Amino acid sequence: MASAALAHLTALLQSRKLDGTVTRPVDQGRPCTGTGVAELDHILAGGWPRGQLSEIVGPSSSGRTSVLLATLAAVTSKGGVVALVDVADRLDPPSAAAAGVDLDRLLWVRGPGMALHSTVGDLAVQRGLRAFDLIGRAGGFAVVTFDVADVPARHLRALPSATWRRVAHVLEGRDTVGLLLGTTPMGRSAWGVSVTLRATGHWAGHSARSRRLAGLEVHPQLVRSARRVGVAAGAGTEAPACFFASSEIR
Amino acid sequence: MFLCLVRDSLSPSVPGVLESVARACSPRVEPYGDDVVVCEARGLTRVMGAPAVVAGEMRRMAWERGVGVRVAIAGSHTAAWLLAHLRPGITVIAPGDEARALARLPVSALALLPECQPGVRRAGGSVRRVGETVRRAGLQPRRNTGSKRPASIQLMRDALATLDRWGVATLEDLARLPRADVTSRLGLAGERLHQAACGEDARPLVASDEAPRFVERVELEWPVEGLEPLSCVLARVCDTLSAMLARADRGAVTIFTRLTLVTKALHERVLTLPAPMRDAKVLRTLILLDLEAHPPSAAIDIVEVECGVTPGRIVQKSLLARDVPAVEDVATLIARLQALMGDSRVGAPVVVDTHNPRRSSLKPFTVHSALRTSHSALGTAHVAPRTSHCAVRRFRHPMSVRVVADRGAPVQVVLSESGLALSEPRKDGSKGRVIARAGPWRTSGQWWTADRDTWDRDEWDVAVDSGAIYRLTRNRATERWEVEGVID
Repeated sequence: MASAALAHLTALLQSRKLDGTVTRPVDQGRPCTGTGVAELDHILAGGWPRGQLSEIVGPSSSGRTSVLLATLAAVTSKGGVVALVDVADRLDPPSAAAAGVDLDRLLWVRGPGMALHSTVGDLAVQRGLRAFDLIGRAGGFAVVTFDVADVPARHLRALPSATWRRVAHVLEGRDTVGLLLGTTPMGRSAWGVSVTLRATGHWAGHSARSRRLAGLEVHPQLVRSARRVGVAAGAGTEAPACFFASSEIR
Repeated sequence: MFLCLVRDSLSPSVPGVLESVARACSPRVEPYGDDVVVCEARGLTRVMGAPAVVAGEMRRMAWERGVGVRVAIAGSHTAAWLLAHLRPGITVIAPGDEARALARLPVSALALLPECQPGVRRAGGSVRRVGETVRRAGLQPRRNTGSKRPASIQLMRDALATLDRWGVATLEDLARLPRADVTSRLGLAGERLHQAACGEDARPLVASDEAPRFVERVELEWPVEGLEPLSCVLARVCDTLSAMLARADRGAVTIFTRLTLVTKALHERVLTLPAPMRDAKVLRTLILLDLEAHPPSAAIDIVEVECGVTPGRIVQKSLLARDVPAVEDVATLIARLQALMGDSRVGAPVVVDTHNPRRSSLKPFTVHSALRTSHSALGTAHVAPRTSHCAVRRFRHPMSVRVVADRGAPVQVVLSESGLALSEPRKDGSKGRVIARAGPWRTSGQWWTADRDTWDRDEWDVAVDSGAIYRLTRNRATERWEVEGVID
């Protein structure tokens, strides 16, 4: 009886598109997009959930960009079109190409590319959000990323509290994965996931002359996900470490 | 009788002039691009006088429009074509004398026939308009593909080479050979060459209609200021244009927007679209966004919108491939993003062919056809590598940083809240001490140009105690340290 009433209530909310915050214990049937990293796909039960806003969070050199590029490479290799709103203009096209991203299928929206101080930073973030919103509404993009990893936290704090909810609402019901790339958690949607990364650098070579950066060993951790409520109950789920090798020949 | 107009090689090519001259005099015109036009001249003698007078008059008309031409009149358009291409000035041949007029010409002259040239085609109707409009937009013209398939052109050329080997020197020599024998040895190509040597046509003149112009003009009762009222006018204009395009099964590839201002100045904008489209709302949005970025300087009196067109696009989606955004949606999206971020800030990244890692570039972002998408789905296109690679977050304007060095090697990177660690809170006790480093890798370039692009620096990868791994460079000329990026 109670489950019937609950189902009725959920259906009502769903019909009015108000079911975004209704959590369900386990839902493995939702469509998702592979991250391009097997270890991460495992803890995310298939990949980034479509139609949701998810987060890749971590400090500098934690492998955020590497994970992002792996995702973009996986999607573009299957014929998908992706977009990157790069507020601080940090994308390195050779790195993206080395990671396997089909650059022809990547729409790159570049921010001002300067030190994001006070007014410039606020404006850049607002314009970036507007661009993210436009791309999300256009539809057809498999992944849309909002990269604010090098934007000072004060600019993000200055955003109205409903910003991320509004952005998540744009993606709802679409086949698009929304990704936020930042230093701290910002605002994933109710059905989105937050992945926190930390990494250690691996150095090859025994002498000072022969030493080079071999790559990053990245430890992803699923912080919270409605998809895993029944399993992890909000506790962090750590994935096995994955290795991102340096693509540069020295 | 046929008349052929050929642009003089020393005269500039002006799109549409020869065709307009021919159409002013003759109702049956067959244009071949912008440089050659053939028209029927049979009835013109009754109106304009003797054939020489007709030819002179048309030559004068072309000259007045800035194009010098060669004119030939003959009983067949093949003879007129060859004579106009080979003889300067005006050539008039009486009907029936074509073979005699062509007799002394070398056999190699037959290579000038339209059937032997890949770049020559009948410019029928709106197809010509595409090339013209693209040229008017200042863009690189599309390659002119021949109406004949390259294989048939090659057959004609092979036949000419064979005739040369046989020692057939002039068209008279070729015309004397029995046509049946030439055909049995050289095939249809040989037959056509023999016909041409005799001054005969293989087919009648195929007249084409004048290319329809897809233009809509509105003269406003009172001047319009600002884009909001203009959008209503544009909606009406685009609706009409869209209906015209739909009727003709054409899509717009170029949009010319001409606004006559109250100051009598002309504000002209040209929009090149990534794919043919005819949706009125999309066209209006694109024009408005373009005008938003490049607004007119005064109120508007007259609005004129013209479309350069191409045949309609047929899109077939694939069940195997992931759906991609529609071309029309992407065009609108890009226009909106460019209006928001700036023209040079939106596109697809390009790996620049240089050793200077600071260089980056963009190219226009276009959505590929469904065909390529399906190929991708089948695994024949781009394949992502199996190995994951770590990325560099490149600082487009490298940040100066203070580095403590020991015998040239960095031992401490002095972090600052306002500079290097923009968004990352410093760890307690982190002093930027270098815990691991690799380098230096010396890189230099453009030293031969001695301009601002010259670089000569040592690169280091350094891990500091805060956990970050930076790519540092030391300018060898100024000894200045900079952060190029973060390994992430």
